[in-house]
Amino acid sequence: MSALPYRAALEACAAEPIRIPGAIQPHGALLCFDPQTLALRQMSRNAAAMLGVELAPGPLPAGLSGLQAPLRAWLESGDVVFLKVLEVAGRRWQLQGHLTPQGALLEFEPPPQPDEEALESLYPRLSAFMADLSASADLAGVARAAVREIRALTQFNRVLLYSFDETGDGTVLAEANDGVLPSYQGLRFPASDIPEQARALYRLSRIRLIPAVDYTPCPIEPVNSPVDQAPLDLSRAGLRSVSPVHLEYMRNMGTGASMSVSILVNGALWGLISAHNAAPRMVNPQIRNACDILGQVLSMHIETRLQAGLAAERLALSAVEQSLLAGLAEAPSLQAGLAAHAAELLAMLRAQGAATIIQGKVWITGQTPDEAAIKAFAADLQAAGEEQFETDSLAQRWPQAAGFGAQASGMLAISTSQVHADYVFWFRPELVRTVEWSGNPVKAAEPVSGRLHPRKSFEMWKERVELRSAPWRPAEIETAISFRNAIQTLVLRRAEERAELTDMLERSNRELEAFSYSISHDLRAPFRHIVGFAELLSDRERSLDERSRHYVTTIKDAAVSAGRLVDDLLAFSQLGRSQLHKTRVDMAKLVQEARRLLEPELGGRLVQWRVEPLPDGWGDATMLRQVWQNLLQNAIKYTRGREMTRISVGGTAQGGKIRYWVEDNGVGFEMAYAGKLFGVFQRLHRIEEFEGTGIGLALVKRIVERHGGTVEAHGEPGKGARFSFVLPEAGHDKRKTISG
Amino acid sequence: MADLRPILLVEDNPRDLELTLAALAKCQLANEIVVARDGAEALDYLYARGAHENRVPGDPAVVLLDLKLPKVDGLEVLEKVKSDPMQRQIPVVMLTSSREERDLLRSYELGVNAFVVKPVDFNAFFEAIQDLGMFWAILNEPPPGARSNGI
Repeated sequence: MSALPYRAALEACAAEPIRIPGAIQPHGALLCFDPQTLALRQMSRNAAAMLGVELAPGPLPAGLSGLQAPLRAWLESGDVVFLKVLEVAGRRWQLQGHLTPQGALLEFEPPPQPDEEALESLYPRLSAFMADLSASADLAGVARAAVREIRALTQFNRVLLYSFDETGDGTVLAEANDGVLPSYQGLRFPASDIPEQARALYRLSRIRLIPAVDYTPCPIEPVNSPVDQAPLDLSRAGLRSVSPVHLEYMRNMGTGASMSVSILVNGALWGLISAHNAAPRMVNPQIRNACDILGQVLSMHIETRLQAGLAAERLALSAVEQSLLAGLAEAPSLQAGLAAHAAELLAMLRAQGAATIIQGKVWITGQTPDEAAIKAFAADLQAAGEEQFETDSLAQRWPQAAGFGAQASGMLAISTSQVHADYVFWFRPELVRTVEWSGNPVKAAEPVSGRLHPRKSFEMWKERVELRSAPWRPAEIETAISFRNAIQTLVLRRAEERAELTDMLERSNRELEAFSYSISHDLRAPFRHIVGFAELLSDRERSLDERSRHYVTTIKDAAVSAGRLVDDLLAFSQLGRSQLHKTRVDMAKLVQEARRLLEPELGGRLVQWRVEPLPDGWGDATMLRQVWQNLLQNAIKYTRGREMTRISVGGTAQGGKIRYWVEDNGVGFEMAYAGKLFGVFQRLHRIEEFEGTGIGLALVKRIVERHGGTVEAHGEPGKGARFSFVLPEAGHDKRKTISG
Repeated sequence: MADLRPILLVEDNPRDLELTLAALAKCQLANEIVVARDGAEALDYLYARGAHENRVPGDPAVVLLDLKLPKVDGLEVLEKVKSDPMQRQIPVVMLTSSREERDLLRSYELGVNAFVVKPVDFNAFFEAIQDLGMFWAILNEPPPGARSNGI
């Protein structure tokens, strides 16, 4: 079914001058007076006949002289409206008056019949209604009480209460129906169903009755007001004739009479009570006034509820937000924190899905678009410099989003970083999939031939909300913004802490470097001088006795070993700083080289070597050579004095790691000291037993650890020792510098 | 054929200076040893200016240059010499206490002819100086067409 004629009709309606129709409904009469002189300015054509007096523009007609005193009293009182039952030309009339710039407007209607409900009898009904309102748990209950009451008052076949959302779309919240007219419970209709100027009139005059849809409009004469030569403004006149478009709508709905009561909240049109009757039906002014009072009571009640609800909602959201933030503050990272509190993250903004993108990494929970789409959103928002963004129609900004509208039609995004394209997203599904009009719109008896019809409204609404989610409410957006600020503070604080730490590390690194550089220069020199001058002295004094020569030699040896200690320490500290140049390393070759280098230290001793085939290693060849050299040197040193020295070397690969070992049958050590072996300057033997600076194994440990590996030592006093180190294989190396 | 041009020794530390001179003396070289106590003085000698304005003309057979020097340090002297087309053929041997890799790399970048880490052990030091002195003072010929030939 095409919506085009429907749209055309609505456009025509929006353009219509409905405030100045130039006519009234004929169930009453209207007169316009000069408020100073009470001269008659304009009148409805039916007025003379209805009131039974002769009327002509000019001084107050003689037939209306009875009005003079009450009108004067009203006009002098300063009251905005005039409401009275008066006798005019021998008949009683219900009079309603109000002031406009074009004059005092007075509307005449027949008064209630004596058997109709009197105002006094309405009072208990209203107080019962107010009790009902307070007792209702929710807004739907309040709406049900209101429609029930209006139906009881007006005896109309069907009474609906609908509310407008932020976009102006309407939803039927409650219905009281005696079954004569079809049900519209749950109906949704687009904002365009009620043009803006019509909404303005609903705000100006709270109640409007059309007792007979097929009435003949009764013109105002003369058409233009003598005050401003413009048609008479009937905005606040109860009898104002309504738009033919509206009448067509009523006829298409099969209604003969209608009445509406505005619900105003904070001055805005929040909703309407709309009553329909299949046959024409008059509602007398007293009942109308009772409905008006009911409407006002209802308005105030809803306003209070909404404010309380908003406050409660803000409170609830803020509680969820606080608990989420507390969780985040303790989490190791923002992403980990959000992942651990996914349920709260969703609950906070009533979303069905959420996602984060932090430094290019995407995390999702619930119903969301795919990763690629989330990355695209983040890139787009970053490019646009948007810190916060919300839409209930993703496809409007990103047409490709139409593909996943069912999961995500609405999105709210906040930026969590000032620098990176880091965002937190919330997603809501397409609303139309969650809404059903439970009223039976395809009832056979229902005529749908006209251009304007609720069924068409529903279709139109569905079309309008296609690929749209429920809108993001102000309280939710506020929560998101406050959440963003909190997160940014959190992220900023983390970054600051990290920067501070890095700064400290860099400073202490620089200090260490300067320190070791100056040691390498300044500490070695005095040792060199001691050795040099001691040498010169012994060269020069050939006649020194044995003891003196021993002293000079000791001075020299001490200085030489101190110098070596400095050199070893420097080598050790440089290890921490120098770059690793990792390659595939032939370990068998390194062991061979180390053995050759250590040959002189054997001093002719016999060694039974057993070197098993070694798997290749992955690392810095120069450093690994040092490892083998130190381990083999140790093995050679601590097997001194053995009748037969046995040293074996081996290696096995397993689970991404390779274990290499060196085993000897030397003096061994107590396992209790195993932990001390790898410390700097840790010695387990006296210096005259085994020489050395106590740095060799510390160096081994440092090199292996820089390769991401571990070292181990096993020993038994008098039996021997076994030292092993484990290196990660190429590709299992977390810190690899060359991709392999 | 001995090169009898002088050896320029640049050393600020008096003890190192004494030891180096003792080592050189042991080599019994005929070359004169000219001593400069900082980088600025070394450059003055090389460019025959300042206190060395009236020296005998000609380049030294070799410069033994300490790395850490007051005023103008060893690396600066090296850079100056090796970037000057009139000077760059003079052999420069860097003597240093430092085992720092970056000093070594920088020296080679600047075109040093040899780099010696002064060993703590005097005998090793003595041997190194002897080798250097012999090599550069006795065996090393200036390249053909060099601005001076000491004979």
